[in-house]
Amino acid sequence: MNASPVWTIACNEWRRWWHARVPALLLVVLLGLWGLAALAAHHHWQDHARTVADVTQRSQHDWQSQPDRHPHRVSHFGDFVAKPLHPLTVIEPGILDQSGHLVYLEAHRLNSANFNPATEATSLGRFPLMTPGMIVQWWMPLFLIMIAYATVTAEKLAGTLAYMRGNGTAVWQIATGKWLALFLPFLLLLCLQGVLVGLWSWHSDQTMLRLGLMLLAQVLYMAGWCGLVVAVSWWSRQLHAALLTLLLCWVCVCIIFPRGLANLAQVLHPTQPRTEAEYHAEIKLKTLGDSHHPNDPHFATFKAQILKQYGVSRTEDLPVNYNGLLMQEGERLTTAVYREQQALHDAQLAKQNGLIRHWLWLSPALAMQYVQMASSGNDLAHHQAFIRQAEVRRYQLIQYLNQIHTFKVNLAEDKDTRVDAAFWQNAPRPTVSLAEIDVSRTPLLASLLVLLGWIVLPCALLYKVSKRT
Amino acid sequence: MKHELILLLKQRSMVLLVLLSLILTSLSLQNGWQNISHIRTQILHAQQEESLRKQDYLHSHQHDGTLDAGEIGYYLFHNVYHAPTEWSFIALGNRLVTPYVQRIRLLGLQGQLYDGESHHPEYVMLGSFDYAFWLVFFSPLLCIALMHDLRASEQQAQRLLFLNSLVAKPAHFWLKRVLVRWLLIVTTLTLPVIAFATLHALSTGPLLLVLVITLLYTLFWTMVCAAISLHTRAVNASFNAMLLTSIWLCMTVILPNLAQLWCHTHLPVKDGSQIALQHRQLVHGAWDLPKTDTLTPFYALYPQWRDTPPVIGRFHWKWYFAFQHMADVRLAPQVAAREQALMQRDQATQQLGWTLPGVWVQRQLEQLAHSNVTHLLAHRQQIEQFHTQLRHFVYPFLFEEQPFTAEDFQRLPTFQSTATD
Repeated sequence: MNASPVWTIACNEWRRWWHARVPALLLVVLLGLWGLAALAAHHHWQDHARTVADVTQRSQHDWQSQPDRHPHRVSHFGDFVAKPLHPLTVIEPGILDQSGHLVYLEAHRLNSANFNPATEATSLGRFPLMTPGMIVQWWMPLFLIMIAYATVTAEKLAGTLAYMRGNGTAVWQIATGKWLALFLPFLLLLCLQGVLVGLWSWHSDQTMLRLGLMLLAQVLYMAGWCGLVVAVSWWSRQLHAALLTLLLCWVCVCIIFPRGLANLAQVLHPTQPRTEAEYHAEIKLKTLGDSHHPNDPHFATFKAQILKQYGVSRTEDLPVNYNGLLMQEGERLTTAVYREQQALHDAQLAKQNGLIRHWLWLSPALAMQYVQMASSGNDLAHHQAFIRQAEVRRYQLIQYLNQIHTFKVNLAEDKDTRVDAAFWQNAPRPTVSLAEIDVSRTPLLASLLVLLGWIVLPCALLYKVSKRT
Repeated sequence: MKHELILLLKQRSMVLLVLLSLILTSLSLQNGWQNISHIRTQILHAQQEESLRKQDYLHSHQHDGTLDAGEIGYYLFHNVYHAPTEWSFIALGNRLVTPYVQRIRLLGLQGQLYDGESHHPEYVMLGSFDYAFWLVFFSPLLCIALMHDLRASEQQAQRLLFLNSLVAKPAHFWLKRVLVRWLLIVTTLTLPVIAFATLHALSTGPLLLVLVITLLYTLFWTMVCAAISLHTRAVNASFNAMLLTSIWLCMTVILPNLAQLWCHTHLPVKDGSQIALQHRQLVHGAWDLPKTDTLTPFYALYPQWRDTPPVIGRFHWKWYFAFQHMADVRLAPQVAAREQALMQRDQATQQLGWTLPGVWVQRQLEQLAHSNVTHLLAHRQQIEQFHTQLRHFVYPFLFEEQPFTAEDFQRLPTFQSTATD
């Protein structure tokens, strides 16, 4: 097997680009665009990172500078957590603008993540965002098509393809040569991006794994596109037909299918409005037990049990504050119901995701975006993990405050007691950190599988087409 | 003209393209409609539920025919609706993200106004497949597909010289050719819209506007395509296609992105979280302050309650709701500043629309669909007015400690959405 003709063909292709000027120019333009996108994305990331830092600092300050208060007041004062960002957000911001980045943690309430900039976007916000991830996903294939749609068709028309075949160059050698010629420059660009971003963000957690996965997906994706371009170019009899076919593929794969799929999922499995979910949770809570109601069966049993445990006959005789115990029990109940509600909502989203995943093979661009979003920590799974972490922190914090209520506040003068501020300062408020990439295992696997298929498809096409000539 | 049309439709790829465009236009309309009707059903459902829930509240919280006004303020939720208009399906805009049903209590408004909706964020990120998107992004591609090789295809078939020598007025000939293609494109876009409007018996004013916008926008792209493909030296079809695609890319992605970047750096908007944090601090800080610190400024705003019985005990609802309101009042300048910055951004977008047709079309259609940021702000104003109305309704019962009867409860204001035309 002699591989040197492969190299000759690849080098010839590059020489052709250089002489034709247009491909070389397009590559330069692509680089310019990429730089622009990097700048915009960096600005975007910085903006968000600053907001997160501001909120975290301010909420920390507000919390620590609380005066002596009644514990229940503190649990309604609540705590704010901001969603942590991974520096790889610079490549793919994903759902950053859409998901909300602030959660208010409060006693007996499950608040949503609020303040997504997308809500307040002007009409400009409806145009696709330009990020390095988008450059790889949309613009690299598009420029590739424009640079190389003629790669085999031109040879065919000029008769050089037949000449090469006549000289005994194998089909696989020509195809590989052409494919390498297209793929190597993009591989170089992708690796360059990877190295630059890697250097910039090496200190953050799981960077190598995340970056590696992202790079793998990008490389697979571009390799597939290069194969497709060579195959279509080989298949077409006219330059023009090659270009139009490839452009049509691009429009479908990159724009129509992703949007279409997402809309289909939403129409087929609509989500319940938040207000409804909240209301249902409240109704459910009422049926479980109402601590304000003196004759409520659940709390009557609870009271009897507590009295028995401490061996007294009245709540006033308890060595601890009965109100605090009530709060603890109430919080336990509400939290269970809210978590159930959250699980229900997650299940609805999972249904939509399931539908999209089922049809993901239609759009490798979407598959690639899923990998990019997962590795930059900006996909749904990471967001849900953040919400879960925030909820765990909320529950811990509120129960800590309820314990203080139980043990440090006297029942007789409950409402007039102020507990020392040192208790708030030592409250358990574990830092909310970015979830491990493992949370997005399912979308990652599905997407990588689709991307593998995406390489096989053009190869099969090429094999079939090249046999024809 | 007729011959031109026949000539065009004899190509199988053209027929395919036209059919594809027709189908996708209809799909985009249908998809927008589906989304909007989902919102409508949910709102209707919420409206029915609301009155039931309020009756429920009345039954469970009534003691001897009267209710506690403070409890009503604290426990009773009032729905507010961001109702779509008749033509909202044409551009979903930020209806994809904004909650269409929200629940408001008599507490401080700024703590409640920004609750997010439980949409699938990835779906929102990918964007909607509505008519506005289809028109802004795809009609140019359709124009490019049909018109990038006007001269080049003739040149390739070696008919160009022949044509030029044969036709008396070449300008007239090319005009006819371009016109036919434009009309074909316009038809594939407007036919579904007209059919859709007739099917659902929609009002004609907005329909005409949509049609005019479509005509103008496709005309713009037709002119761009014609200018490039009818250029004397434009004989390389592939080069034309690439050039036009690059122009499309510039006009629909790169320039809007740059504009947005410029907007965000020159018209910064304070993040909403800052308001939320301050609101919390103001509301909860008030518990630790002497009651006069809250009530004095409050009575300055509402002198009519100044002479009501003073708050002596540890807690009184009137003090509670006064500090809730004062937090809103203290934040009002910041909220107004944010609103103004957002309006300025919208203004900048509008001005930009004069140079970028795509932005113009998107904004015009959103204006028509009431799904722009200005409508969101107007909606927030409406909520604020409703909140004020509620407060003013409940205040007499709180401050003068009048009994709140079941009849009073029935007279509680409900949210009237103005955008249901």
